[in-house]
Amino acid sequence: MISRSELNVLMDREPKFDDIMISFRAIAKQPKGINKELKQVIAIARKFNEEVIRPGSLALDRKMHETPDHLAWDYVREANKRGFYTMFIPKMFGGEGYSLTAVAYFLEELSSSCGAVANIVGVHYLGIVMMFSSWNLKICNRICADVIKGQKNGEPCLLSLAMTEPDAGTDSQNVEFMDTGSLACHAQKVKGGYKVTGNKIFISMGHMSTWHIVHAYTDLKRGSDNTVMLAVKKGTQGFSFGKKEKKMGQKACPASELIFKDCVIPDENVCFSKEDMAKLKRRVKDTNAQVFAYIWAASRTSVGAFGVGTARAAFEEALDYATKTMIDGQRLVDHEWCQSLLGDMYKNVLLSRLAYTEAGYANGLHGIWMVMNVKPMYLMNRYLPKALISWFMKPFLNLGLTTTVFRKICFDMQSDDAVNRVDGWGSFAKVVGTDAGIQNARLAMEIMGHAGVRQDRRVEKILRDSKLFQIYEGTNEINRLNLFKRLVAKALPQTEVFSETNP
Amino acid sequence: MTESAHKEIKMIEKAAREFSKKVLAPEREENDAFPFGPFFNTALEKAYGLDFFHLNLPENLGGMGQSIRALCRVMDQICREDSSLGGIIFTNTLSQSILLETGSESRLQSLAEKATGVFDFIVAFPSLTNPHDLTDLPKAQVKNDVFTLSGHLDYLVLGGMAKQAIIPACIDGNKEYSLFLVNLDSPDVVRSEPIMSHGLHACPAVDVTFSFAEGFLLGEAGKGDGYFTKASETMQLAASAMLLGVMKGSWDEAMSYCGSRVQGGRKLKDWSTMQMKLADMVIQVHVADMLVERACQAVENQEKDWQNLVKAAAFHIQSAATQLVTEGIQALGGVGYMKDFGQEKRFRDAGQIQTMLGHTHIKKLRFIKQFLN
Ligand SMILES: Cc1cc2nc3c(=O)[nH]c(=O)nc-3n(C[C@H](O)[C@H](O)[C@H](O)COP(=O)(O)OP(=O)(O)OC[C@H]3O[C@@H](n4cnc5c(N)ncnc54)[C@H](O)[C@@H]3O)c2cc1C
Repeated sequence: MISRSELNVLMDREPKFDDIMISFRAIAKQPKGINKELKQVIAIARKFNEEVIRPGSLALDRKMHETPDHLAWDYVREANKRGFYTMFIPKMFGGEGYSLTAVAYFLEELSSSCGAVANIVGVHYLGIVMMFSSWNLKICNRICADVIKGQKNGEPCLLSLAMTEPDAGTDSQNVEFMDTGSLACHAQKVKGGYKVTGNKIFISMGHMSTWHIVHAYTDLKRGSDNTVMLAVKKGTQGFSFGKKEKKMGQKACPASELIFKDCVIPDENVCFSKEDMAKLKRRVKDTNAQVFAYIWAASRTSVGAFGVGTARAAFEEALDYATKTMIDGQRLVDHEWCQSLLGDMYKNVLLSRLAYTEAGYANGLHGIWMVMNVKPMYLMNRYLPKALISWFMKPFLNLGLTTTVFRKICFDMQSDDAVNRVDGWGSFAKVVGTDAGIQNARLAMEIMGHAGVRQDRRVEKILRDSKLFQIYEGTNEINRLNLFKRLVAKALPQTEVFSETNP
Repeated sequence: MTESAHKEIKMIEKAAREFSKKVLAPEREENDAFPFGPFFNTALEKAYGLDFFHLNLPENLGGMGQSIRALCRVMDQICREDSSLGGIIFTNTLSQSILLETGSESRLQSLAEKATGVFDFIVAFPSLTNPHDLTDLPKAQVKNDVFTLSGHLDYLVLGGMAKQAIIPACIDGNKEYSLFLVNLDSPDVVRSEPIMSHGLHACPAVDVTFSFAEGFLLGEAGKGDGYFTKASETMQLAASAMLLGVMKGSWDEAMSYCGSRVQGGRKLKDWSTMQMKLADMVIQVHVADMLVERACQAVENQEKDWQNLVKAAAFHIQSAATQLVTEGIQALGGVGYMKDFGQEKRFRDAGQIQTMLGHTHIKKLRFIKQFLN
């Protein structure tokens, strides 16, 4: 009916099959064990929800209203005790080695009980992802070892991701804007490391994290070519915490100011420098963009899942209310109009879960967890004892050569198409999931009327918590543009995105 | 409207604007901390002194005898900065309207005469609900011509601070509810701590339990729904004006922030994506402004069908406002989520104001039914 060459040509036309049918390609390659893992992680999250989050999250939110400086260490310790901060770290780095594909489903579950507690766990993995996006396996190995130790000795060791600055939010997160922006976190090359001066703001879990994965710039005027990724440990001289923000929601997850003043970061804590990037195939700026794409594709998929969690929570609260409330002599849930609204809310949940699922497949095929999804790696990680993998791999991970090889594979061998795909789908999942969160929370408030405005009925908190998801990890406005850039404009040679000329 | 009435409203509006900017705006974050921070007694007393609580009260009862238009203008101005005060004035004016509908002028008059300050004057009411939609209203019993109320009422707005409240309750044997004036200081009334709510933190509500608390029947027995419906027909417009104020506040702050914040090498206002967002916002602000104005006119002229015009305006403004305040935060990015700016409060307040006078969807169904029948 159709020849192979014709088929290839037709499938390569826009929209390209490979761009839009991610799951079809991914499922065929996906190791079977992932399904079982998904069920396990969802069950683990549900248990935590039932035992810890549901009984306590409203009281925690209330306490945070009352004493905004409170830090929810009891929740962090409990999550740490249950192994949540190590469960998605690959076994070769000493973690439990659950598939990274499962992170989003885990976070959706947590978020369906409390967006803020989900963040308390999820933000750590944003830091982990940023660190891994450097493919500096030596540092990853060392810092993961700290996290594992923190779990064992009951002293949680968390990571944060620090990009945003007072005058550079969007600008610090897109290479396209860096050179016209007002970046201020300066990294000066000194003997044996970098001396960093400048502030980061809004850093989630800042005050509660041990390691901060920080972007600083060796040339503030040309950040796109001069970004350096650093790992900064709490207690480093010249590094301190500033204020904690007073936020509308997400109260249990602090947003912190990090202050660097002549803070010297030794070479051993430099994750990725301009010089490292220069050794790779692409221009430094493009490699830098690739680093962002690795981070955002994974983190935005997870934020999409946060949004789905809150959308689901809002739906569940509205449903519960509708089954228990009588209006005009009939249960609310028996009114057709209400069923239609609830159907719409459920549609939002299903649709946005599909979105992050697809983005997750893209990450597995082309993104940060592609290496771990390759079957031999997956099987080794899943089924060999941790001690054995660790014994076998540790010497390799600490070799500079291993980092070099991984960087060659992960940067030089990653095609432009793959970068576009994974980054575009990440933005898609983020926008769809987080918009669904807000839509459902609003609808739930409307269905519940005056009951909905009470904090003790949960749904108003869901609305407050959801709003953040439309803002961080790049605003949804920026993500819509990025979606257009990565999945549409790539086929429009004369179309630039993020570079509108002044009208 | 006469020239002098017009002038008078302008003066009232100006007073509300100045009050809003000078008294409310600087303390917004602090006032919003209630119940975990102090209550804004001083601001409230000042607003009382400026007669914002007497606007619609007839002159012969010690009020200003102003029209709904004056109330709307005041609400608009106040809610640009802090809707909590708007919520207090709204609830109290609703209570006054209900008292008027029930023919309780003498009670209103004595309230106005005896009050030494705002807390003596205000009358609590469950203003976020339509009592008709509540199941399990308190029960009222009558013995020797004296009514006593027993049971529970959720979310009595101003119930924690007012000395009296209008309480919907069902008299034994009556299908429809009646309205009662109840002394909240009575030992037979137990009030909860202030309820922590989504918005309007400084317009607090409490849950109340009555154990044979004495109540004075307002109007006729079993006619509560009629009185409430009548009062809410115009008060819905005041709620719309509150949302209009919130929308304007959100728009102002978005404009001012986008005019100064630079990202991507230029002011935010110079990005066309942002221009679209700001355009959508200001379009809705203008439409809402026109709707409130037009609805005021319809009420003043007692146009045929004015009730439906007011309702249609309210439905439109409700959905526009919740959308707009969401964008209002978004325009500021991360700082929009923080308490240092007003946007997050407006986001919450709009969510709360839209529930005033009952479930939107149920109101909508009732609205369409009159056309269908
Ligand atoms: C509670 C919270 C937690 C956070 N956690 C972290 C964290 O852990 N780590 C971290 O690094 N950051 C964090 N952030 C920062 C977050 O990622 C930024 O707030 C977000 O990216 C937006 O940046 P901004 O706030 O500076 O807004 P701005 O960049 O100033 O944007 C303001 C508005 O302008 C629009 N805009 C900006 N540039 C353009 C353009 N070129 N074209 C069109 N529109 C534009 C935006 O879409 C937005 O609507 C957090 C923020 C919050 C609120």
